[in-house]
Amino acid sequence: MADSFIKTDVYRDLKGRNRHPWHRRGLLVLLLAIPVLALIGVFGQRTDRTEANAPQATLTMSGPSRLRGGLLYQWKLQVQAHQDIAKPKLALNEGFLNGLTVNTIEPQASQELNRNGHVVLEYDTLSAGQKLTVWIQYQVNPTTVGRRTVRVELDDGDTPITSIAKRVTVFP
Amino acid sequence: MDLVIRATVVFFFIYLVTRVVGKRELSSMEPFDLILLIVTGDLVQQAITQSDYSVTGALTVISTIALLTVFVSWVNWRFRRMRSVLEGQPVVLVENGKMIEPNMKRERITVEDIESEGRQQQITDIGDIRWALLETNGRISIIPASK
Repeated sequence: MADSFIKTDVYRDLKGRNRHPWHRRGLLVLLLAIPVLALIGVFGQRTDRTEANAPQATLTMSGPSRLRGGLLYQWKLQVQAHQDIAKPKLALNEGFLNGLTVNTIEPQASQELNRNGHVVLEYDTLSAGQKLTVWIQYQVNPTTVGRRTVRVELDDGDTPITSIAKRVTVFP
Repeated sequence: MDLVIRATVVFFFIYLVTRVVGKRELSSMEPFDLILLIVTGDLVQQAITQSDYSVTGALTVISTIALLTVFVSWVNWRFRRMRSVLEGQPVVLVENGKMIEPNMKRERITVEDIESEGRQQQITDIGDIRWALLETNGRISIIPASK
């Protein structure tokens, strides 16, 4: 008599299959790790704030440091002048623009210049106590991946006042 | 973080919708239902991932929805009282050849629906049906009078 295609020892009595539910539970825990990591902000896009102080001004940069392809987000740069700044300039490094689509920069700079590969935004004179806020709206290009340094320098004319550098991660 | 929250909200909303539209609508797939399903899927995708094109985002959303599915299944298994809430209960449509019209009206089932299901089981007369039940998955089970 031919063997039945129903293997009773394996299919009914679950021989050798006692650990299978634990394997499945282990995989579920692994699966659970992804949303938990996402909830605590590992994959972005929680906004953080970095500040740099100098006698002439305080420079603040707010925005997410962890991003994903396609995300819409913004960086907010704030200059709080403690003394008069005749020619406030914000010099943005390559990390601010490479692989990102800039939707808008508000307010528009009175001049946009190139300085050794950096983009320099020049604004009108800031008196002591005045505040300049610049919003940069972005979308991450879907093919952009990896880590980069984003650096902004506040200058008065050609004199550096202060700067902020930040590591930004773009997840695939 | 927002991906997980959006996926969770949409998951439970879809669950609510499937409970509200009724059992029968879920099992029948007319051309209009198919188009509606595709349109809903597209809207759900936009609501959850928005402009996110990343693999990380996709993994997060898929994991969240998979875990919620397992969670609902577990609640359904563990808590007997939750079963009627999450899955509903079968409804008797025909008993010993007699249609129970209030139940049919409640579930929007026509005589033609029962006749159609009966024909698929070689039953040509409702009088030959002992039990016809609308199951929780939207299908009609028919038990012939002879059995």
